[in-house]
Amino acid sequence: MTITIRENATPIEILLVEDSPGDARLTQEAMRDAKVQNNLHIASDGMEATSFLWRRGKHANAPRPDLILLDLNLPKKGGREVLEEIKLDPSLKSIPIVVLTTSAAEEDVLRSYQLHANCYITKPVDLDQFLKVVKAIDNFWLAIVKLPSDPK
Amino acid sequence: MTHFRARGPFQCAPKGRTAWSRSGPLSQFMAVFLAWSLIGVSSLLAQQPKPTAYEVKAAYLYNFGKFVEWPAKVTAGNNEPFTICVLGKDPFGASLDATIAGEAIDGKSVLAKRISKPQEALNCRVLFISSSEDAQLKEILATLEKTSVLTVSDMSQFTRRGGMIQFVDDANRVRFEVNLTIAERAGLTLSSQLLKVAISARRNS
Amino acid sequence: MLRVRGHSITKKLTRMNMLVSGAALLLACLAFVAYDVLAIRQAIVHNLSIQAQIAGSNSVSALLFNDPHDAEKTLSALKAAPNILSAHIYTTGGLPFATYSRERGGKAPTLPAIPAGQTEAHWFKDGQIVLVRSIIFQAKPTGSVYIQSDLREINDRLKRYAGIAAIVLLTSLLAALLVSSIFQRAVAEPITHLAGIAGVVSRDKDYSVRATPTGSRDELATLIETFNEMLAQIQERDGALQKAHHELKQRVQELARRAQELARSNAELEQFAYVASHDLQEPLRMVASYTQLLGQRYKGRLDSDADEFIAYAVDGAHRMQLLIGDLLAYCRVGTTGKELCETSSEAALEQALLNLQGAIQESSGVVTHDPLPTVVADGSQLVQLFQNVVGNAIKYRSAELPRVHVSAKKNGGNEWIFSMRDNGLGIEPKYFGKIFVMFQRLHGREEFSGTGIGLTVCKKIAERHGGRMWVESEPGKGSTFYVALPERG
Repeated sequence: MTITIRENATPIEILLVEDSPGDARLTQEAMRDAKVQNNLHIASDGMEATSFLWRRGKHANAPRPDLILLDLNLPKKGGREVLEEIKLDPSLKSIPIVVLTTSAAEEDVLRSYQLHANCYITKPVDLDQFLKVVKAIDNFWLAIVKLPSDPK
Repeated sequence: MTHFRARGPFQCAPKGRTAWSRSGPLSQFMAVFLAWSLIGVSSLLAQQPKPTAYEVKAAYLYNFGKFVEWPAKVTAGNNEPFTICVLGKDPFGASLDATIAGEAIDGKSVLAKRISKPQEALNCRVLFISSSEDAQLKEILATLEKTSVLTVSDMSQFTRRGGMIQFVDDANRVRFEVNLTIAERAGLTLSSQLLKVAISARRNS
Repeated sequence: MLRVRGHSITKKLTRMNMLVSGAALLLACLAFVAYDVLAIRQAIVHNLSIQAQIAGSNSVSALLFNDPHDAEKTLSALKAAPNILSAHIYTTGGLPFATYSRERGGKAPTLPAIPAGQTEAHWFKDGQIVLVRSIIFQAKPTGSVYIQSDLREINDRLKRYAGIAAIVLLTSLLAALLVSSIFQRAVAEPITHLAGIAGVVSRDKDYSVRATPTGSRDELATLIETFNEMLAQIQERDGALQKAHHELKQRVQELARRAQELARSNAELEQFAYVASHDLQEPLRMVASYTQLLGQRYKGRLDSDADEFIAYAVDGAHRMQLLIGDLLAYCRVGTTGKELCETSSEAALEQALLNLQGAIQESSGVVTHDPLPTVVADGSQLVQLFQNVVGNAIKYRSAELPRVHVSAKKNGGNEWIFSMRDNGLGIEPKYFGKIFVMFQRLHGREEFSGTGIGLTVCKKIAERHGGRMWVESEPGKGSTFYVALPERG
């Protein structure tokens, strides 16, 4: 399958909601070599994520993400809560959300899909595997999939 | 009222020959038969035929024997019967014999004897002197003076005249008087039992 | 519940006493009275007889000479006897001859017949006695005498006797009461006391009380003595029993406590193990990932030592990740175990083989099985068990192509014994226990991969199901792993 490079020059805005700076950095490293240009924004907890999305406080000028990578185990506001909130907001619910978390538990998977997550990925323990997965996300969601544009 | 029950069937004492015997045999028989039947009927009708006075007297004669004690010289040693003699015209007839039949006094059998002379009375215990001998009473008693014969009679004044027991007809009853002196003089002991039922038990001088 | 009933013993004794003495006296009195009455009657009859004889003999001449008046005189002499109500003389024909009557106007009744062969007869009736005697004079019946007398003499005597008897009885009863009260002290009181003590013992379960002994040396004293001995024994035994009971209770409590302690400790450990492994994973992942990233990014850019060091670090981190992961899996056998239900062990085996498809194909291994039964088990754990054992059989293969055979048979009771026979390397008997221990391996990492948790997990699964696991093997001849699972869980 050929992977077409987006013609549009604007980079994809990705919001990564991840509390572990280590994981965040790894993801960053992995996305750096992505096929498609992207801007990776990082929110380290649920509160920051919602501030960013609803452009509150210091995130007043935050861009609207085209894709959200969401970890479930977040301090303060949990990932499931954020997921729910996002999907309830008419202006935000169209943004695809990829749940990217360490948990492989059935109930987490089910719950996430029930809350209308677009897909669920368990973070591999192995580094190489992890990098492969991020690259796959990049390939699929950025290159292949058509992301919705801002309804506004 | 006392009744003296008859001992046996009523019997007509065959007395001496009377005017009866002069009628013819058939008419005699008829008369006898009729008399019998009359008497028989009357005996049936009467529950307890009343004994005649002489039947009573005959019984008394016998009973006197039970209440009188004769002196030893009379009672001792012999088994002679107890004789009740009738001197003179026998007023008892068969009743005396009937009364004493089968009886005994003091273990001796009782016998009835009819005598005509006082001398024949020496062996009598009881002598009934018939009223026919009224005139000869004195001689009779004189004859018996030394004896222990109990003299009984129903002639009047018997006891005054020396007799020992005199029958007295009192209303419907036969009673008697006793002359104790005479009896004692003859050696006879009269039981008080006898004396108390006598009308009187007199002692004369 | 025992109530104190001492007074009823006294009452009983009193009653008994009174009854006995009363009865004895009554009988005596009755006997005397009866005898006396009989004697009196006889005397009366005798009296009357004599009077009849006298009257009779005195009336003989009256009868013979028909002098009723004289006979009446004779009879009237009976006026002197106050008890004679009337007297009559009858002729031999049974007709009234003479009469005497105490009351005016008494009529001569019909002469009752004297039984044949007797001179005289008497009858008691209506509180009177009638005597009839035939008058025999010189061996000849001459008439009959009839005398009627009242029984006042008897009645008066009886009344007098009744009075005396009553007084005597009363006195005797009082005496009996007196005797009883004396008796009570000697006998009833100790009995009452004993009954009381027995009641106290029974009610209060107090075995320390004792009955006070009486001064005497009779059976009661023996009873009291024995009773007290008995109580002493009971007390002793009761004491011992209580002590034993107490000790037992203490021990039971102790055991319960220890059991509780153990259970808690176990739970804690399990939880600890689980949490630890779970929480260790995250930082471990960081270490592993970044050292790896470091190795990749800076490969050749640092000196060869650095490469080597980084390689060891990465390797160590990886191994640690594996161990933690396996530890977690081991813990999960207990914590995430599902409810046991009827499971087809054949299906479980099939699933396990499916999971091992790659390894089996790669090694050209052949796995066979006999028909396998349905057991009460956690399906996924059963799969894991089969998977681990068959996987081991394939991994630790000999030069031959690996062959595994799985079968099951019932042992005498209610257990299924699964046997998994392979033709692998075999195991030395001295290691039969060791292989089931956590992280214990018989081979180096270079020879065979693995953390040494596989069989440990299998054993835990088997034990979780109420069964057990063991091995029989000979080096070079392969091994057979046995798993016993109860039929009904």
